[in-house]
Amino acid sequence: MSTVGRLVRAELRLMTRDPLVLTFVFAFPIVTMLIIGGAFGTKPDPAFENINPSHWYVASYLTVVIAATGLVMLPVHLASYRERGVLRRFAAAGFPRWSFALAQLVVGLLTNLVACALLLAVAAPVYGVPAVHDGWRVAVAVPLGAVAFVSLGVLLGSLLPSARSAQAVGLLLFFPSFLLGAGGPPPRVMGSVVKQVAGPLPLTLLTNAVRAPWLGLGPATGSLIGVVVLTVAATALAARRAAL
Amino acid sequence: MGRRAGGGRPGTLVDMSEPQVVTVRGLRKSYGTRVVVDDLDLDVPAGEIVGLIGANGAGKTTTVECIQGLRKPDAGRLSVLGLDPVTQAARLRPLVGSQLQESALPDRLRVAEAVELFRTPRARDGGELLEQFGLTARRRSVFSSLSGGERQRLFLVLALLNRPRLVILDELTQGLDPAARRNVWAAVRQLNDEGTTVLLVTHEMDEAEALCGRVVVMRAGRVIDAGAPADLVERHASTAVIRFSLPDPPAGLLDEVRRLDGVREVTRSGVSGTLVTVRGHRRLVAYAGAVLVRWQTVPADLSVWQPSLEDALLGLLSADQDSVDQGETAPDELLGGRR
Repeated sequence: MSTVGRLVRAELRLMTRDPLVLTFVFAFPIVTMLIIGGAFGTKPDPAFENINPSHWYVASYLTVVIAATGLVMLPVHLASYRERGVLRRFAAAGFPRWSFALAQLVVGLLTNLVACALLLAVAAPVYGVPAVHDGWRVAVAVPLGAVAFVSLGVLLGSLLPSARSAQAVGLLLFFPSFLLGAGGPPPRVMGSVVKQVAGPLPLTLLTNAVRAPWLGLGPATGSLIGVVVLTVAATALAARRAAL
Repeated sequence: MGRRAGGGRPGTLVDMSEPQVVTVRGLRKSYGTRVVVDDLDLDVPAGEIVGLIGANGAGKTTTVECIQGLRKPDAGRLSVLGLDPVTQAARLRPLVGSQLQESALPDRLRVAEAVELFRTPRARDGGELLEQFGLTARRRSVFSSLSGGERQRLFLVLALLNRPRLVILDELTQGLDPAARRNVWAAVRQLNDEGTTVLLVTHEMDEAEALCGRVVVMRAGRVIDAGAPADLVERHASTAVIRFSLPDPPAGLLDEVRRLDGVREVTRSGVSGTLVTVRGHRRLVAYAGAVLVRWQTVPADLSVWQPSLEDALLGLLSADQDSVDQGETAPDELLGGRR
């Protein structure tokens, strides 16, 4: 088996044993989706662009999984490895530096895939999964966003000096993004200042690029372009840091 | 002192009459404004166990990190197994097994999984290595649950797993109990018997004496002396001490001891001067013993204090400091030793 293959297999095993991953990437989005999805009922609501609020949140929460992976799981994981000398040991054993970053990309994307599938599987019997109006845009935006946030995670993990600092910075980035860009109130009920702050956030762009074509609210081309730019920039920076 | 391992200078031809696994010339490495390795030359001949010793902060770990290609030198020429660690690190690293200081494995990785992760197609039987280092029962244990000694043994298993041609061991037996240390030493000797070259960084002088055919002493990023452990002891801590009680020594016995080759001083102390102390070169031990036997005066409490490599290191470092401070070399003194 190749170096990357061995690393991916080991990292996948480790991910299933990591309580931070299990709670933050798998449990947290599902639990909050169940709570907030039920909080506003199922009647189409003008605040939610005349969409069933439960469906609004089901369509929004895939990106919460993606953000939790990129802003919390990967930075903490990578910074912890660097802080404790795990990466040094890998390097000394002949693992190319890029192989670990590539393994994290694969693991991050697989984590997103499984966690998103689980989220939809839980949502289906409770609120139902809304029909996808513009499938190809959703199919482009979700993997692009996943690559963008995994790259951001690799970048943050390579910059932050310790697991604690990665956790602090990661949570500081994640929760405002989560509340303003995916799992919080819909943009229509936000004040103008909050809406202005929320608009350019990476998670807002991604959520909009996924949710709007999914629920038939428009193509959200501007948001999709924003996600493409973010993906290219984050991947290039992460690759440079990881000497890919 | 200025003595160099290998004696070469940057830009001069390297003596290739003996195959070298590691050749370093003029290595220099700084962290910010702090020079950690300063114009260092080092040779590690094939098939030898070479020890790198010195005080904390001497630059030993940085040196081996440069040799492994984990750090980029600021200046100097390095050749490891015929490869350049800077430009050919990817080819070099699979040929080098290393046990690094201050490194770890993922907390939740199991012992057997670590062996699986690090093994390459040329690997030895991981199960046998785990058995050899007493880790078979811990195969399913996660890294975070291992004791310090078990972690060190696992690192050694991983260092030896892929049949390396050069093994670099940094603080090899740190945290091991005496029995585990002997076990690890035996494994290193066996490895060397099989033809593997070993570069050992250690603070444990008994370890260096037990394992190394040659040791290189570093101070402030430079090599200040190198040689076989016995030669270093001879050069920097050759004073031995014998003590015994003689309540009523025969006339002439102590005079004969004073005249022995290598004796520097014979003193009497204690109640009525019954405790005799003889200081001098290490060879006096045999001569003094022979004299006592010939005079049929064999004290029951005779004790011998022989200088060790640790004494040599301390003597060397203090002498080097004195030469730096005062521009001259201090005489060697007995600074501990062993019975």
